[in-house]
Amino acid sequence: MLGYIRFELIRTARDGGYVVFGLIMPVVMYLVFTDLGLAPGDEHDAAIYTMVSMAAYGGLGAAFNNGSGIAEDRAAGWLRRLRLTPLTPAQVIAGKVVTGAVGVVPGIAAVLLTGALVNHVTLTPGRWLAIVVLLWAGTIPFSLLGLGNGYRLTGQSAAMANLMTMLVLSIVGGLWVPVSGFPSWLRALAEWTPSNGYASLSWHVAFGAAPGAREIAMLTVWLVVFGLYAMYGYRRAGRTG
Amino acid sequence: MRSDESPAVLLSSVTRNFGPVRAVDRITLTIPRGQTVALLGPNGAGKSTTIGLLLGLLAPDSGRAALFGRDPVQAVRQGLVGAMPQEGGLIGRVTVRELLSFVAGTYPAPLPLDRVLRLAQITQLRDRRVDRLSGGQAQRVRFATAVVGDPDLVVLDEPTAALDVTARREFWDGMRDLAGQGKTILFSTHYLDEADERSDRVIVVGRGRVIADGTSDEIKRVVALTTVSVTVTGETAWLSALPGVRHLDIRGDRAHLRSADPDATVMALAQAGAVRNLEVTPADLEDAFVALTTEDAPIAEETM
Repeated sequence: MLGYIRFELIRTARDGGYVVFGLIMPVVMYLVFTDLGLAPGDEHDAAIYTMVSMAAYGGLGAAFNNGSGIAEDRAAGWLRRLRLTPLTPAQVIAGKVVTGAVGVVPGIAAVLLTGALVNHVTLTPGRWLAIVVLLWAGTIPFSLLGLGNGYRLTGQSAAMANLMTMLVLSIVGGLWVPVSGFPSWLRALAEWTPSNGYASLSWHVAFGAAPGAREIAMLTVWLVVFGLYAMYGYRRAGRTG
Repeated sequence: MRSDESPAVLLSSVTRNFGPVRAVDRITLTIPRGQTVALLGPNGAGKSTTIGLLLGLLAPDSGRAALFGRDPVQAVRQGLVGAMPQEGGLIGRVTVRELLSFVAGTYPAPLPLDRVLRLAQITQLRDRRVDRLSGGQAQRVRFATAVVGDPDLVVLDEPTAALDVTARREFWDGMRDLAGQGKTILFSTHYLDEADERSDRVIVVGRGRVIADGTSDEIKRVVALTTVSVTVTGETAWLSALPGVRHLDIRGDRAHLRSADPDATVMALAQAGAVRNLEVTPADLEDAFVALTTEDAPIAEETM
């Protein structure tokens, strides 16, 4: 199974969509958005706030891209081919999940490093560690949603669905422009999105607060919903080959 | 039966429907270890479904499939099987070497990579990206993924269907080395000459059933009938009783005798003094084969 994970990571690293949406865009947008001064607070606070936003955006990009890869694999007959190797289906799925979990790391790390090195963000080691863990673990619901789309839809439409979902969740969830600048109706909507809950956990921690119980509860519900969706997609894909 | 004595492939009365269509209809066959078997039939005969059933990709509606005396899925998990599906199975953004190393790593005792590259004649392609190969090259790489794990049973579904003549020959050159190693090989094809040249045994499938099963010589005798034509006058019924004759067709003053033993037929015609404007036409294998698998061919039953 380690061989499968290594194999999938090689493929991920060579995937243009992954490099653009999971790595380059979040870093570039972080640099641009910090200068726009949309985030609340002084310059340092804004740099922290936007760093978390863009790291979350990068996490979403990589997580959804992993799901699109599943659709591509299915279209190429690759999942069927894997069934003719000694790998078990559980190993294949676990391998894909691990690949996804590893795949979100570079984008998050690149944005956080840019924050520390370019925008001179300073946080206590404990807070750094906490936001790294939260940003990383928080991608799981999005990975599941992406996988669900990947299993349920075919090649191009899965990639398109994942890209659109990723962009809508990023924008409405306040990862690009903070929700404080939204009209009130949109802001009310934003606060129910999983992407807003995901980033809120780290926003709170970065500014010294505890993660909110509401965000944790909401993200857990989304985790269950997307998990069920991924299982539904997987079963459906199994029936149709 | 001890599992180490059990046949490589066993299908017993396996049936599979797709909606109202019966793709495989009570197929029963046994392939002992070490045999190279061709599954021969036209498109839509049920070859791919049969292969899907014996590999455990499809579940039979009734009947049982077993590989080496165990459940097909279990045999695949244990690395006893290497297979090349008819379509797909190559994935982008990796090199040939990376792909083969990965597949090899899933098997308990794979072949050395260099040997597989030589076997499949893809040594020159090892650092090429899998998604940038020609049809023939891609097919040899797919073949390499089927054998790299050094499985006891190799199953190839229409391995040469999309290839031109040169690519087909190159493909089979690699297969020859493999058959010499005591592997059990099952491949499907709709080319009669391939089945003839590359296998110990030919199983002819049509409309989901086994129509004929024997050595390629036996199959050819049934499938590949030579046509002996003479000009005749008067009574013609006696011609169908001549040695070797399986079909008699009178068109105008010409009698066309489809014969399994053209030498004997011609000798008998000569003894009867009936050789007039004699013409002997070798079988059009494809035509004969299509005839065999599309009509209820009584001649096929003689080999069963």
